[in-house]
Amino acid sequence: MTIEQDLSFDHEFTLKELLTGVKTEKLLQALTACLDSPVRILNIKNECLFSSETTDFTAIKPAIKTPIYGELEAIAYLEAHSDQEKLQSAAQLLQLLLYSNSRYLMASDLHIQTQRDDYEELQRRHAALEISQENYKNLAESLDLRVKQQVKTIENAQIKLYENEKLASVGRLAAGVAHEINNPIGFIRSNLSSAQSYLGSFTKLNDAFKADASISYLRQLWQEESLEFLQEDMSDILKESIDGVDRVSAIVKDLKSFSRVNDLAEEDANINEIIRQTCHVSAPQLKDKLQIILDLGDIPHIFCHPAELGQVFLNLILNAADATAEKGKIRFKTQVKESNLSIEIRDTGNGIAESDLPHIFEPFFTTKDVGQGIGLGLTVCLNIIKAHHGSLTIISKQEKGTLVTILLPITHKKD
Amino acid sequence: MAIYDEENNRLTIKLVYYGPAMSGKTTNLMRLHDILKTDLKGEIMIMETTNDRTLFFDLLPLGFTTSSGLLIKFKVYTVPGQVVHDSTRKAVLSRADGVVFVADSQLSQSINNAQSFENLEDNAGRVGIDFDGLPLVIQYNKRDLNNIISETEVQERWQQAPWPVTFSNALNGLGVIETLQALLKQVYDALDTEFMFLQKHNLTQDAFIKRLIGDYVIH
Repeated sequence: MTIEQDLSFDHEFTLKELLTGVKTEKLLQALTACLDSPVRILNIKNECLFSSETTDFTAIKPAIKTPIYGELEAIAYLEAHSDQEKLQSAAQLLQLLLYSNSRYLMASDLHIQTQRDDYEELQRRHAALEISQENYKNLAESLDLRVKQQVKTIENAQIKLYENEKLASVGRLAAGVAHEINNPIGFIRSNLSSAQSYLGSFTKLNDAFKADASISYLRQLWQEESLEFLQEDMSDILKESIDGVDRVSAIVKDLKSFSRVNDLAEEDANINEIIRQTCHVSAPQLKDKLQIILDLGDIPHIFCHPAELGQVFLNLILNAADATAEKGKIRFKTQVKESNLSIEIRDTGNGIAESDLPHIFEPFFTTKDVGQGIGLGLTVCLNIIKAHHGSLTIISKQEKGTLVTILLPITHKKD
Repeated sequence: MAIYDEENNRLTIKLVYYGPAMSGKTTNLMRLHDILKTDLKGEIMIMETTNDRTLFFDLLPLGFTTSSGLLIKFKVYTVPGQVVHDSTRKAVLSRADGVVFVADSQLSQSINNAQSFENLEDNAGRVGIDFDGLPLVIQYNKRDLNNIISETEVQERWQQAPWPVTFSNALNGLGVIETLQALLKQVYDALDTEFMFLQKHNLTQDAFIKRLIGDYVIH
């Protein structure tokens, strides 16, 4: 097989290659001096490669030659006017030089070759790394996008939960309120039935009048039908019914503010009034568990969202109820403190554990059982108060109770 | 891949002694240099570091001329065994016509042997040598030491493999020639089809081996 000789370190070196770095002029000078004769170096085809003379000295006087060996075989000839022994010694010397040079050449060629291979390998690895880096980069980017999408989904779910929480406390009222409305409606319905049956007695009497009945008959009828009693009772049940209707309308009026929890209307309102309304609507829910004490001072109207503040008070009342095992109290105290309106809500519930205190405003933090609350109540309260540029602080001692202090700036509607 | 140089009517065959560090590759080469009686035997070129470790390679050039006038030149190399010199090992292994894998018989060296053999297989692939068709001999060296793997165990281990296994003590030359002989048989067969040793050069396998080794009597 014939293979083109390439730069492989173990290729066959030519004489020229083996003389790399050797100054041939000096070499020829030295050989000439040693042999005391002009010298020529021929290739194996007997062509002159180097000569100490400019003319062919062998033409004038025949010279003798001896081979110079490379690894194994002759690679050149040394020619001079000399005796064989001297010439061979000179050739030996030259071979030693070539051998030493071949050692160096092979080592350096191998070094270059491995360096080149290592470099190519490095470049391949570098390219592979770049591809892998690109893959990771793409992955990272798409990951970022996916994380953002997930965060958005979670945020949306949180906003929904947050909105639900606003309605949830109102929902808790519904049962109590329904009962409170059902009661008057029950007796009003019963009263109206009685009134309807009473009307039959009056109709009988009226018919007798129309038929020109005698006075004695009319008198008899009057007594039979107990019309005097009916008249009195009618007056009583109508009065009772009107009271009942007033009660229902009062409840509805109080409830109205809560039916507008998402209504953003702001107005000048009396905080005391909002507290009273909230207490009214939540009263049936509390039954006898929590006694509400109102210590409401003389305070000015402020510009606010009444429905939202009602939500805050309702949440705090419901929290206090949840924190009360059997019977307890909750006291609302309002007053003006410096330039702020101060609302203190103090309950006698079982308080908040010290380890829980730092977390109570965190969304979804709850100590209640699953299904009892999702942990947004106080978060909603704090957000509403912050929206009013106010502050809400909580001090609590376990087994003693909790004091919530709300400070609201006193502001008025700008005309 | 043997290289035929038409101009000089020369065929160059490359043999490589491979194996883990300190398993005795250079020693094998030195004994070959001492024992072989080849017509043409060059100087052994040894390139080692100060602590007896081969840095680049060792090279022993050998050769003979057939009756037809073809110069068959053998370049017998060793590779550096140390793991770090892998690029050099690859460059030396490139275009090899035959490989002797010199394993260290010591029990403590079995992992190094296995890793080096795996490395030989990998590097052969990397430099484009068909490993399955590569003439190869497994030589278990240092048989004179204690705590060595038994011959039975070695035979069992390589039973399924297609390569001949030899045992040696390269320090005193035992088994060194047998190993080369086992390799030359395979090399002759592998190259005969292409270079027609018998048809064109009237060179039989026996003659091919004898011309290289000389009148060495196998013990």
